[in-house]
Amino acid sequence: MSRRRDEYEDDVEEDDEYDGVDEEDDEADGYDDGGKERYARSLNVEYDEEATDVEQQALLPSVRDPKLWMVKCAIGREREVAVCLMQKCIDRGPELQIRSAIALDHLKNFIYIEADKEAHVKEAIKGMRNIFTGKIMLVPIKEMTDVLSVESKAIDISRDTWVRLKIGTYKGDLAKVVDVDNVRQRATVKVIPRIDLQALSNKLEGREVPKKKAFTPPARFMNIDEARELHIRVERRRDPATGDYFEKIEGMMFKDGFLYKNVSLKSLSTQNVQPTFDELEKFRQPGETGDGDMSSLSTLFANRKKGHFMKGDRVIVVKGDLRNLKGWVEKVEEDTVHIKPNEKGLPKTLAISDKDLCKYFEPGNHVKVVSGATEGATGMVVSVEGHVVNLVSDTTKELIRVFADNVVESSEVTSGVTKIGDYELHDLVVLDDNSFGVIIRVESEAFQVLKGVPERPDVALARLREIKYKVDKKIFAKDRYKNTLSVKDVVKILDGPCRGKQGPVEHIYKGVLFIYDRHHLEHAGFICVKSESCMMVGGSRANGERNGNSFTSKFSHLRTPPRVPTSSMRPPRGGYGGHNNFGGRGGGRGHDALIGATVKIRLGHYKGCKGRVKDVKGSTVRIELESQMKVVAGKSPFWEMCLMATLAFAVDRSHISDNVNVTPSRETSRYGMGSETPMHPSRTPLHPYMTPMRDSGVTPYHDGMRTPMRDRAWNPYTPMSPPRDNWEDGNPGSWGTSPQYQPGSPPSRAYEAPTPGSGWTNTPSNNYNEAGTPRDSGSAYANAPSPYLPSTPGGQPPMTPSSAYLPGTPGGQPMTPGSGGLDMMSPVVGADSEGPWFLPDILVNVRRPGDDTTPGVIREVLPDGSSKIALGSSGNGDVVTALPNEIEVVPPRKLDKIKIMGGAHRGATGKLIGIDGTDGIVKVDDTLDVKILDMVSLAKLVQA
Amino acid sequence: MVNLGGGGGGGGGQVAVAQIPTSFGHELRACLRCRLVKTYDQFRESGCENCPFFQMEDDHERVVDCTTPNFTGLISVMDPTKSWAARWLRIDEYVLVCIYMRWGALTGKFAPGCYTLAVSEALNPDLQNICEEEHVPYVPPKRV
Repeated sequence: MSRRRDEYEDDVEEDDEYDGVDEEDDEADGYDDGGKERYARSLNVEYDEEATDVEQQALLPSVRDPKLWMVKCAIGREREVAVCLMQKCIDRGPELQIRSAIALDHLKNFIYIEADKEAHVKEAIKGMRNIFTGKIMLVPIKEMTDVLSVESKAIDISRDTWVRLKIGTYKGDLAKVVDVDNVRQRATVKVIPRIDLQALSNKLEGREVPKKKAFTPPARFMNIDEARELHIRVERRRDPATGDYFEKIEGMMFKDGFLYKNVSLKSLSTQNVQPTFDELEKFRQPGETGDGDMSSLSTLFANRKKGHFMKGDRVIVVKGDLRNLKGWVEKVEEDTVHIKPNEKGLPKTLAISDKDLCKYFEPGNHVKVVSGATEGATGMVVSVEGHVVNLVSDTTKELIRVFADNVVESSEVTSGVTKIGDYELHDLVVLDDNSFGVIIRVESEAFQVLKGVPERPDVALARLREIKYKVDKKIFAKDRYKNTLSVKDVVKILDGPCRGKQGPVEHIYKGVLFIYDRHHLEHAGFICVKSESCMMVGGSRANGERNGNSFTSKFSHLRTPPRVPTSSMRPPRGGYGGHNNFGGRGGGRGHDALIGATVKIRLGHYKGCKGRVKDVKGSTVRIELESQMKVVAGKSPFWEMCLMATLAFAVDRSHISDNVNVTPSRETSRYGMGSETPMHPSRTPLHPYMTPMRDSGVTPYHDGMRTPMRDRAWNPYTPMSPPRDNWEDGNPGSWGTSPQYQPGSPPSRAYEAPTPGSGWTNTPSNNYNEAGTPRDSGSAYANAPSPYLPSTPGGQPPMTPSSAYLPGTPGGQPMTPGSGGLDMMSPVVGADSEGPWFLPDILVNVRRPGDDTTPGVIREVLPDGSSKIALGSSGNGDVVTALPNEIEVVPPRKLDKIKIMGGAHRGATGKLIGIDGTDGIVKVDDTLDVKILDMVSLAKLVQA
Repeated sequence: MVNLGGGGGGGGGQVAVAQIPTSFGHELRACLRCRLVKTYDQFRESGCENCPFFQMEDDHERVVDCTTPNFTGLISVMDPTKSWAARWLRIDEYVLVCIYMRWGALTGKFAPGCYTLAVSEALNPDLQNICEEEHVPYVPPKRV
């Protein structure tokens, strides 16, 4: 009771600066000193005494009292309606027999009317705007008091109080009160700004500003220089009241990086503001030391709950003469704590105000966090700095910094919270700014997310609402040596800050791996790396799972046979060396054993064709088709599939001939032949790699798409589907109408499967559209034996034709087929094509077995696919000949001169004027057109 | 206008009604003693019908001291004597309190009008003294 009065008195003196403890005593003294009559005081007291409750009991509603009726009214008009009813009663006099009308702030859409009879209510509300006369509900007599029980909110906002903002961009953010204007009911608070400088600059310069706010900008300190760089006008103003200087940008005031914001007191939440350690740490300014701490301490103490101290707690005195005295709590009485001091020569117990006390821990104590963000965690205290305790969590082995106040000694070992909503510790999630990461810690209301930024560890705090969705799909990636990585595979990190670390892959997303290394003490053991920076160690463990996956199982018949790598350092070509079917082949030479074998092509345009292997080079296979007497190229990994297929399926001769017959009619270019084959095989490996890289390569795909498309177009399940129409438009006179492609032929059925029609299917089609139709593709397409092919289920034709290049389109979603290709199978990296994918005058890296990577410039592309390369980044070194798979295109950087390697513009040169994710914005030299092209089809141009 | 200190219940006759708020927005303020709700301007011009001793109409600073924009809920009391809600909220009159304090004769009725369910601040001590001197009860708001 006395506590309550104290608070009230605090409030009376609210203009005074809040200074913690002393105030109350002064206050109470002031009362007596003022010589006021006792009864004023006793009045207060009486009211707080039980007597009031008894009196109030006497007022409980009885059956003789009027009743409360609930009436619906327009939202937001509750007060207005109540006032209007009052006015109506005044105007009409006693004929309206309602007694009162009640509008509650917390109850929208309804008001209560007090009257003896429902008829009186009806009479009163008749003809009133904003009241809906439909339904009048009687409030049960027992609930009548509940309607009126509104506790007045205590508003204890004073300088230096920690508050949270309730609305707007800063909703939920911690703020510190700088100034309070009680008359105008406004306060100035300082918050860490959430300002998108770029957007601001756009707005100021009159550029187009996207209407909808996609996300809340992250909180970070305002950097005035950065603002100036963006040509945002910054004024320096002196505040006449305080003499402080502020930077003014667009009407917003900044000081020391903080935004000083004038807000209504009502928009501040003062209840239960428990700043977390991290939040306070952020607020602490470089210059601010002890004082700042003290003020924050006092607010912290104000938030203490009752019964904060318990008998036996170790405490330390933080204020007054006895400062630093340690002791144990003996007894707690309201605000006074009796402690047994640790020192000799002092009385047995000392009575100390609880505001002067702080819990005290020593290194080695095992404690439990009882409140705050890390509530529930347990751990061992490793160090104590003032009122801050550092402990090592039992679960994550991470250092947790908490206030001593929030900790109790405990031998309990718990894991704390591991789940909020649908998201659990170690889940891979996509945040609302489209970044992604792994949850490495679950706090009471937020997650710590290790972002998928491979360059440096970036941990963000994400609230539940900031998480878009959880990524739960099976995604695959390729390691540096093009081995397929899936979740649970153990990899070793080859470069970057975490080089040498090793552990199982926990998540794969957009070519980024999250690896769990339990020896890694940061970020709960998670390391984020690019898949290319890793190397698989041991075998893939996920093959079994892959099968089980509902998505991939559709393709299971296309699946690459499990490869069991034998050594961790596998040269790319030897990647499949361990395959049993071809046992005996070493790492280097590759598939020689295949030469002479009769195979059947399983995928792509030549699907079903039988032929004899003429040559194996790298992963490329040349096949002499029985029916055509033509030599086509294929990719050997896929190749294995071909062989497998031979073993697995009976050859349908009639179908083969169909296929082959059609071919020449639509593709006369020699490249056509060359390019078609590979896609068959290529299908296979791709499926597993449905990684999310949204970017789908540019041109090459269309060939691949064709096959499935065709199937699709004639698929009886999708009669007259728009895709087909589109397709035909683009390919007049194509095979689209040819009768050979009747549905039902076994091979095509096989390809029905990869048409799930989900988001990702759109992408290939888009690409296709972008790429142009095969007819105008010219030779460029010929070189398209790209691995994308396989992933082009083609099932869903161009539904959103232009979207492929727009960020955020379905293409951006995981499972984009094209994406898989980018990293591991893109023409650039893979470069296994028969035709000259490479072009002269482009900068490449030559990687020779046993050698380091050396830059060079392609001088000539030989007909056999290998290239003559002049070493040195400007191409003035020795000239060597390298196989395509030893060559890697050096991705151009912004403003580099480039050469376009794929697509309709193949061979053209230009300038890379910008990079947007995986798209490059290119100004083509000849036409001066600006094109958006996939980065993988661009190479840096080095002119001789 | 104001029916203070009348002693008897004003049930039968014409009851003086407090001013009714002329708007419903942020200008509304509530008297810290009797919880009557009006706009700032209304308080400034005519003071509080239930608490004339605050003399808000004479001293505009007083309006700020005696009233607050921080209040919760609104109740239009048409008939303070017959309304249960008014009694429960002690808007009718301080009957019980007065009996308790033996001030029966000195307390007045509150005028019909718009009140709030609760204010979130207390009167400052000086103004509480005025209440004492006027022998009118003052009940500080309950705190959470």
